[in-house]
Amino acid sequence: MNGSRRRYYIPAYLFAALVMMLASYSLPRWLPGDFVTAMYSSSHVTLNADQEQDLKAYYTERQGFGRYVVDFFTLHWGYSYAFLTPISELILGALPWTLLLMGGAHLLSMILGFIAGVEAAWRRGGIIEKAGVGTMTLLEGIPEIGTGVILLLFFALHLGWLPASGGETAYAAHSAGSWLLDLSRHLALPLATLFLAYFPGNFLLTRGSMVMVLKQQFLETARAKGLPPARVRYGHAARNALLPMVTRFGLRIAFMVTGALVVETIYSYPGLGTLLFNAIAVRDLPLIQGIVLFSSLIVLFVNLGLEFVYSRIDPRVNHAS
Amino acid sequence: MENVVVRELSVTYRATDHALLALDQVDLCLESGRITALVGESGSGKTTLGKTLMGLLPEYAEVKGTVKVGDVDIPNASEAEWNEIRWSQIAMVFQNGPQNLNPVHRIIDQVAEPLIRHHAARKTEAMEQAREALERMGLNPSLGRRFPHELSGGEIQRALLAMALIMDPEFLILDEPTAALDAMTKAFVSRIILEARDHGKAILLITHDLDLARHIADDLVMLYLGQVMETLPAKDLFSYPRHPYTLALGRSYPSLETHRDLGGIRGDAFYRVIHRHPQDNGMVRPHSHVIGDASSHENGHTPPRGCLFQPRCTQAVADCAEKSVPLLPVENHQIRCLRGGIVTALDLKGVDKTYGKVKALGSTSLSLRAGEIFCLVGETGSGKTTLAMIAAGVLPPDRGSRTFEDRDMDRWIKEDYRSLARRIGVIYQNPAQAVSHRFSVFDLVAEPLRIQKEGNRGEEIEKRVMAALRDVHLSTEPAFLQRYPHELNMGALQRVCIARALVSRPSMVVADEPTSSLDPSVQAKVLKMMLDLQIEKGLTMLFITHDLGLARKIGDRIGVMLAGRLVEAGPAMEVMGRPAHPYTRLLIAGARGEFDAAAAGPGGSDPGGIDPSGCPFVSRCERARSSCSLDFPDPVNMDEGHHLVWCRFPLGGSSGRPGPSQPRVFQK
Amino acid sequence: MHRNTRKELSADPWFLTGAAIVLVVVFLIAATPWLSVHDPYDMGFQPLSPSSSEHWLGVNDGGMDIFAELLLGIRNTVAFGLVTGMTALVIGVIIGLVCAWFGGLTDDVLMRLSDILLAIPSVMILILVAALFRPSPVALGLLLAVMAWPTTAKAIRAQALVIRKSLHIQAARQMGASGTYIIGRHMMPELFPLYLIGFAAKARMAMFMEASLSFLGLFDPSRKSLGMMINYALKYYYLDIWWNWLLPPILCLTLLIMMVTFLAVSLEKVFDPRLKML
Repeated sequence: MNGSRRRYYIPAYLFAALVMMLASYSLPRWLPGDFVTAMYSSSHVTLNADQEQDLKAYYTERQGFGRYVVDFFTLHWGYSYAFLTPISELILGALPWTLLLMGGAHLLSMILGFIAGVEAAWRRGGIIEKAGVGTMTLLEGIPEIGTGVILLLFFALHLGWLPASGGETAYAAHSAGSWLLDLSRHLALPLATLFLAYFPGNFLLTRGSMVMVLKQQFLETARAKGLPPARVRYGHAARNALLPMVTRFGLRIAFMVTGALVVETIYSYPGLGTLLFNAIAVRDLPLIQGIVLFSSLIVLFVNLGLEFVYSRIDPRVNHAS
Repeated sequence: MENVVVRELSVTYRATDHALLALDQVDLCLESGRITALVGESGSGKTTLGKTLMGLLPEYAEVKGTVKVGDVDIPNASEAEWNEIRWSQIAMVFQNGPQNLNPVHRIIDQVAEPLIRHHAARKTEAMEQAREALERMGLNPSLGRRFPHELSGGEIQRALLAMALIMDPEFLILDEPTAALDAMTKAFVSRIILEARDHGKAILLITHDLDLARHIADDLVMLYLGQVMETLPAKDLFSYPRHPYTLALGRSYPSLETHRDLGGIRGDAFYRVIHRHPQDNGMVRPHSHVIGDASSHENGHTPPRGCLFQPRCTQAVADCAEKSVPLLPVENHQIRCLRGGIVTALDLKGVDKTYGKVKALGSTSLSLRAGEIFCLVGETGSGKTTLAMIAAGVLPPDRGSRTFEDRDMDRWIKEDYRSLARRIGVIYQNPAQAVSHRFSVFDLVAEPLRIQKEGNRGEEIEKRVMAALRDVHLSTEPAFLQRYPHELNMGALQRVCIARALVSRPSMVVADEPTSSLDPSVQAKVLKMMLDLQIEKGLTMLFITHDLGLARKIGDRIGVMLAGRLVEAGPAMEVMGRPAHPYTRLLIAGARGEFDAAAAGPGGSDPGGIDPSGCPFVSRCERARSSCSLDFPDPVNMDEGHHLVWCRFPLGGSSGRPGPSQPRVFQK
Repeated sequence: MHRNTRKELSADPWFLTGAAIVLVVVFLIAATPWLSVHDPYDMGFQPLSPSSSEHWLGVNDGGMDIFAELLLGIRNTVAFGLVTGMTALVIGVIIGLVCAWFGGLTDDVLMRLSDILLAIPSVMILILVAALFRPSPVALGLLLAVMAWPTTAKAIRAQALVIRKSLHIQAARQMGASGTYIIGRHMMPELFPLYLIGFAAKARMAMFMEASLSFLGLFDPSRKSLGMMINYALKYYYLDIWWNWLLPPILCLTLLIMMVTFLAVSLEKVFDPRLKML
């Protein structure tokens, strides 16, 4: 496998999914002592004897990997004694928030980063370009924690322009319009943080590949054909610069997930991140398991989807399954 | 008819405290109607032999062995007996033409003199005969009245010949008859000699002019430091010498037909001396050693018991210095060599190689003789690199056997590859890619030694590296040793690669287009250097190139490859001068700019890989018949096995060389 | 070859900045015993006090000196980054070389394995393991390394395959070099730039992970870490702890990650064209 082609390797993902499920299933069984006793330890939640009994019975009843898998796909994820809600409710409730945040941030940063990169490469050599590259490299070095906290303190605390936490103002009655506004206000800071974290990378990468693409022969041919500059720029050149960005996205998932986790936590944004954070704090093991497995599978799913996207974007990718 | 027979002739010149062995156990036979050329350089003893046959050796010369001129047994003959036969039976034309005539006598007088003195003929008759003799030599008889200093060199030589032939002797000895003569006279004199032979005379031609020897003589006797090294039919001189000395001498000689650049022979010849050994109270012991100057007297006495040529030989083994060897017959030559003549350094039989679906090399056989340069010529894809790498031991063939220095290569590789690697050096086409850019010059040249764990001590490695760098004319300054490849130009880098290939003192070098990626002026220098090194170190070289002109300049033998097959192989002179394969002819024509000739033929395109059915040249060959497409032809001998061509209808037919192939210098 | 790169590197602003930060960090770590006047675990100080001459950054909510905590946190983060980066690099290099050298079945199996590892979201496993077992940082670091090697291994393998076909390796083989010699003397030095770049990338990721995971509370609570400090400080964001408690760890973290990023950027700039030339 050489550097410029990705292999379209579906079985890897299936294997990975299997591994995740196995891990999620078997790891707890390696805990010293009893799984049930370990739950909720060092937290404020205490179970009485009956609840313990029930739990133990619940888990012994559900031994076996096969049962576990079935349970998972039928959304029987257990019950959280810390939050006093079924786990599936918790997770599925938090999911849309996270999707909104992550999806929005990625989409924005990719589109804007791409365009900025293309334009910067087109205007090579100017002072704007050099300054841009410089600042973006600098910015890329700042971790999400840093930007998150700074933005929070500055915009929320100091200036008070935007809310410091939550996804929506609790217990407020809204019309659809004002609900959206409220939503956006709460979304703004976390989104901005993630955007600032993702944008520089996309910009730099696009600019870099664009610079390479601009050297290629076929662009001259395109111009010779009398095509308008915008078409040459985007239809021909930028199109070729697209692939590395998409590839990079797939490779950087690990980074991004952690970053999103952290950002959500900082803003107490009601997504999966905050949920996980809280779950860890109280050591709600079933909840942690559920979140981890669920999000892993989503990530795998997204990656698999990306493989399709690669093959659409770059016809040179060869398919091996 | 009678013969001159020489058996085990040894002649020693004695001086007060040392003796010079001029001839050592020489056997010779002169038969009527044959010209025997005695070839050697100065100090070889050839003049001594001539003089022996005339009984003209000085007092202090000691003669052993048998020499019979007709019936006369020379060593024991009295002066009277000698005078009987001198000039009437055996005559000699000496070296240095003009010196042999008395400046105060007229020519005609000197020519007629033998008649008058010997046969008491009357003066007028003798003068008449002398005039006729001069005329026969193409000289105006009026010249006879002149004195020697009034004649040109050519005229003098003819006069001397006339003088020698005046009594119509049966045996004629000519010592350098054409030296310092102009071309026309040379031709004339050569013709006279041939006429004399046709008249039934037995002629001994003493010369160092190889061209003359080759064109006139029937047999050659190669003399080195008083010993006969080889006797061979004249036509084999350039095309199939069997003794390393003959090969080396042939290479040293500029000739119109061979194109190979002049070489030389490494080392120097010394005089062989027997001398008084102080330890024996001044008694002369029959031990001898080779000395060039006084110094070797002092450094202990290491008599060369063995072969005299050994210090300069390209294939000497340890025993060569110890064991003396008699002259032994090998096919139609006679050779004095412990190893039976030039050995085969590398022998490939039926090797082939396929990569996946592509057959890069079809069943090929090739042998390399020690000390020679074999040029493998072909275009890209002809399989020459594959063959070269198989020869170097780098690539295992799919089939076939490889023998290197009389050992089976494949077994050798398995048992102890490193000891084989030491014996073979490889030079690659692109020096920049053949070296790691992280190694300094010193590290690069030292690498083989380090890998092969030879001379583990740092000093030894350093010494060898320095010596290797000096061989390739590169600096040994520390600053240079620390340089990295990217700081050198290609020519220098290739020299470093050559040094690297030579540092382990290999006996064979495989060079794959070593100068193709260099600029032409640099190419020339590097090539010259490589040739010098080849002679200096006595290397056997397999030289790959696509350039026919280059092959011509370098090779002793040339092999032509096409589409993975060897189609012609033989002495360079033959392959270039009388190419037998149509493809070779095409290559030569193309190189000469004879495009019509080159483009002639049905004009097919190059077949990729080998067409298993038949000759790869079929589509482009105008001589092709249907049988050519059946299978690859068997080799045809063009010249007693020395020039092979793989073609059913070779150009020039069979060579049909005139002359018997057995030298009859020897009569058992 | 090396001389050129040294010159280029020393002229590159990214490299210089990164190197400067490295020097500062090294100084801080080495001088901790002298700089850190107080014991970071000593809880006896006045909680939440502002910065003073006695406590340069003040005291946190548990009564511990912030500056001391900071120094220790830096050290822990860097150590984690180094250990993980090193381990991931070593594993990646070994596997990459093995794949390139032996090829065949070994190569196939290992490449499949790395594809799977790449597909698995390593963060998740890390979180799961950390949440369940609370292992030591070293164990977590090693676990991270074990999941992070595939990218390095692939890069090394790709380059090693190219090198392996090069003429000078063939020449060395002709001279009788053994496999060990070729790998050791020829291939590994050629791969040197990749080591640096790979190490920088892995170390960066590791430090980032360490900060994030400790922020999330997945490490041993008694372990001092920059992420953890931020976590605690954030709880008191309504107080005036910006400058002395919240910002310092963020700044340090940012600098550490920048340091490695800059070095990586600079290294890639200098070495990359050569890599492609082979």
